[in-house]
Amino acid sequence: MNVASRLPDSSAAALADRPSTSAKPSFLGFGLGLRHQHYEEILGGNPPIDWFEVISENYMLPGGQPLRTLDRICERYPVVMHGVSMSIASTAPPNFEYLQALKDLARRVEPKWISDHLCWTGVHGKNLHDLLPIPYTREALDHVVSRVQLVQDFLGRAIVLENVSTYVQFSNSEMTEWEFLSELSRRSGCWLLFDVNNVYVSAFNHGYDPLTFLNGIPADRVVQFHMAGHSHMGTHIIDTHDHPVCEDVWELYAAALKRFGRVSTMIERDDDIPPLDELLLEVARTREMAGQVLLAGSRAE
Amino acid sequence: MSDFARQQAEFQRGILDGDDTVLAEILDSPREKREVLFGVYRYAYGSRLVEAMRNDHELLHLYLGDEMFNEMGHAYVKARPSAHPNLRWFSQGLPQFLKSANPYSDHPVLSDLAALEKALNDAFDAAEGKVVELTDMAGFAPEAWSDLKFQPHPSASRLDIATNAAAIWLALKNDETPPDATGLQQPAHLMIWRHDVTPMFRELSAEEAMMWDEATNGIPFGVLCEMLATYDDPDSAAGRGAGYLHGWITAGLLTDVSVGS
Repeated sequence: MNVASRLPDSSAAALADRPSTSAKPSFLGFGLGLRHQHYEEILGGNPPIDWFEVISENYMLPGGQPLRTLDRICERYPVVMHGVSMSIASTAPPNFEYLQALKDLARRVEPKWISDHLCWTGVHGKNLHDLLPIPYTREALDHVVSRVQLVQDFLGRAIVLENVSTYVQFSNSEMTEWEFLSELSRRSGCWLLFDVNNVYVSAFNHGYDPLTFLNGIPADRVVQFHMAGHSHMGTHIIDTHDHPVCEDVWELYAAALKRFGRVSTMIERDDDIPPLDELLLEVARTREMAGQVLLAGSRAE
Repeated sequence: MSDFARQQAEFQRGILDGDDTVLAEILDSPREKREVLFGVYRYAYGSRLVEAMRNDHELLHLYLGDEMFNEMGHAYVKARPSAHPNLRWFSQGLPQFLKSANPYSDHPVLSDLAALEKALNDAFDAAEGKVVELTDMAGFAPEAWSDLKFQPHPSASRLDIATNAAAIWLALKNDETPPDATGLQQPAHLMIWRHDVTPMFRELSAEEAMMWDEATNGIPFGVLCEMLATYDDPDSAAGRGAGYLHGWITAGLLTDVSVGS
């Protein structure tokens, strides 16, 4: 008798795909990434932003000004938590201390959803603080599906995962990134954060059409768009988030709106942070463009 | 080990140690060679961590300048890879590194300056805590005072430094030319804490530093005054103790006062 056949039925079931059945998060409108440079202006002026995305790790702290400010933001705006250290695709054991801290923060923030990236950040007890790429293999897919299920069980909610910008591709990949994301979402029940800029960056870096990626993602699984800027190095693009959104990415955003419809959208700026007004113009443009594209779509129907 | 796990280990070694094994499993892109593309990850690793150190240690950066800070930062990254998922804690070991690693250990002011900045950073996002007010003290009968015990605010910490790093910190903070680094005859006793949302520090006398350290170890006020009597005029010890206590309370350094057993 082998070990698997001795497992009780409940254990065997636990190993199978268990897609989360959480309801799809509702549309939040047009938001911005919360950055400390803008705390005062936001709290002093209530700018026209529908919602904020906060970097979870920036508030996984004992106390002080960051958490006090976050509490005040949460009183006024819907908030989404976006992490960079879940390392969902790592083959190292999950960091339950991190997940508990994330859960504790979620209890305080009551976010509309919790997102992170389809990537890994380190193994063997080390953290490289980068969003590292994975091979798109069946082995990796099985592994990530089981990790997403575990995290969703631990947090008690479905999570949202984002496609990252990548600079390399692995020779042992057995499927495309969009096929991997689609299967991951279908099997685990996680929702997808479609980073328009990351699709543009990865498509350029690996030489495929970003529309092929876009059209390969199931429309009903996408709950959020990211819009950001990047740095063009000639032969490749680096996802630096230190520039305004470029025209090519705005064009891809229009295509994403046509395919995915009305999706919560935000401007993500992480470096060379400009005055808030400058970012508000970009937020306004996401709103206007969505209005135009979706109106044109409804007329066509 | 699964193939996926083996590949991740090789990818990580490629970034941390410059091992090229993983390149055999990476493709050239239509426009660029794999070595250059993988180099994006190699470069980003060190530069991101050094940038985090720069953010945590703005004045040490100012003191050392770009070139020396970068060199020091990369040496720290190499010596102490990050083990914590939150970048906030990456620089925590910097004072100890500067104290023990050549050539930085030859300049103890660097470790002291880093330790002061670390203590201020830690005060900034330390846990919240109730703040004892002077009016709270009115509730204690005079005969209970000798048994009073004190609980420090979570943001309060002490630091002893052997150099004039505090004077250098102040000059750099005020955009002034810092004094030459010197060793002190006697260590400077610093108290670091958060007032509302602002981290602060001040220097304590040796006597006040002793009283604070012992108070936070649970020694009651009566015994603290006996200890103060050994430092200076015994007749004024109780008055000096009450004066220090008054200062701690008005600065918001205590989170609880209770009658201990």
